Amino acid sequence: MSENLERRRFLKFLGAGSLIVAPLGCSSVDEDKNSNQPHYIMVFDQNKCVGCGDCKVACNQANNLPEGKSRVMMEQQSGGVEGQVCPQCGKTSCECERKYVRVSCQQCQNAPCVTVCPTGAAHRDAKTGIVTMDKAKCAGCKYCIAACPYDARYINKETDVADNCDFCLESKLAKGELPACVQSCRYDALIFGDANDPTSYVNKLLAVKDSVRIKSHFGTQPSLRYIPIVKQGV
Amino acid sequence: MDGTIEFTMGLSDGIAWPWPIAVYLFFAGISGGALAVALFIRFYKQQTTNTPFLKAASLVSFATIALGMLCLVLDLTNPLFFWRILVYYNLNSVMSVGVIALTAYIPLTALMALFALEEEIKQIPLLRPLVPVIDKLKGIRRPCEYAVLALALAVCAYTGFLISALVRFPIINTSVLPALFVASGLSAGAAAAKMLAVGIFKEDLHSQDMKILHGAEWPIMFAEALFLFMIIMSLATGNAGAQSAFEAFHTGTWSMVFWLGVVGLGFGGPLLLNFATGKQFSHSSQAFYLSGLCAVGGMMCLRMFILYAGQNFAI
Repeated sequence: MSENLERRRFLKFLGAGSLIVAPLGCSSVDEDKNSNQPHYIMVFDQNKCVGCGDCKVACNQANNLPEGKSRVMMEQQSGGVEGQVCPQCGKTSCECERKYVRVSCQQCQNAPCVTVCPTGAAHRDAKTGIVTMDKAKCAGCKYCIAACPYDARYINKETDVADNCDFCLESKLAKGELPACVQSCRYDALIFGDANDPTSYVNKLLAVKDSVRIKSHFGTQPSLRYIPIVKQGV
Repeated sequence: MDGTIEFTMGLSDGIAWPWPIAVYLFFAGISGGALAVALFIRFYKQQTTNTPFLKAASLVSFATIALGMLCLVLDLTNPLFFWRILVYYNLNSVMSVGVIALTAYIPLTALMALFALEEEIKQIPLLRPLVPVIDKLKGIRRPCEYAVLALALAVCAYTGFLISALVRFPIINTSVLPALFVASGLSAGAAAAKMLAVGIFKEDLHSQDMKILHGAEWPIMFAEALFLFMIIMSLATGNAGAQSAFEAFHTGTWSMVFWLGVVGLGFGGPLLLNFATGKQFSHSSQAFYLSGLCAVGGMMCLRMFILYAGQNFAI
């Protein structure tokens, strides 16, 4: 008899308890929804880049940037160019292999610029998760520029507000095209796609290629991957 | 560093935050420091009158924070965009939190100045319309004082938190910075206010308030030196990035600013003027003003050093 009562009480508590606990458990559904969100990443293959600079020009045109300014730069890391000193060995003529690296917004998943921006102008696009700018909100305080560990943000002299590479979110992605730099690269050194899509080319590429991220120790989780030249000679 | 791939170029064309920001940090520190010290004394001594030091501190506090705001606005890429920072908020951002604190702090410093300078305002015909306002608000003076004391310390600390959030600069990205900025704000704020108290509001050089200040100055300065020492030690014994930033203390122009300005002027100046000179000189008004100027100048050098040397040594 008493055992019965105990069981009944137990079941009652179980029922009441589940009413409290169940909604807590259900709140994790949010995360599942997020996993359907794309995570756009870009891969820069140093083995293929020849430093032609077409990507810069294309970026400038696509995003109507002021003359001589683009959201991407090429840093020459080694190898002689006529009349220039090799950054690696310091000689004007050398046998070092030419090496370039893409310098641009790293599209961090944990972006310091978004965290520090006092107005929310530097924000994450709700649909694509891409870090972009709301020009109408930016006050020009330059906090984002100081906070970016990659020094990849700048003030657009024409609009007086901060700017960053946003994978051509407005100019190209909105039309369903690839970012301008990716389109313009004749050497396939840039690959762009959704890392959350198991069938995407970037996913397949990263599955077989070793890639690195720049300054990963800052914990910003950049979305730009780099395939470095690792061979030391023939 | 030995990463497989790194880049060293940047898109931003140099230092993101130039000297107006250092001047703003300086003014905000003095403003918060002066008012906090004056209110500490007011509560500690249970003063009810408007002492010369309180008058000076509230005037200094309001004037410096107003000038600081001017620096801040003029440093925006387009000062006309200033309103955006007041309309849009991001509570994850230290700057946004600071803006909220400042929007409460600035009107309250103005109110403090009105209360403290009531007699002076009555004597100036142009400011006479303010007298009924002061009378009306007198009832809330005490709660305002408590609020402004908390906000003054918050503003001092906030200037430290504001820049210590910048992860790539080892000199700046330290948890001791807010404490250092509070300590140096208190010492420079007190120095600025006491010079004004003696110079304009005819405070006696050896009054009770001055004695308390004198007693408090040395421990605050000691705390400041200690915080600086902590930052230096953590850089010298830190990881590769911290060690490379440690160079700022012994190479280049900014090391001179540190050793001559911060250490020599800021710490050495007042110490020498007070303890290394004869009793007659160290009690004179020249020594008083000189050591006050040293404290204020040292603090300015500190802000300049932290901001410039800090940004020069990025990792």
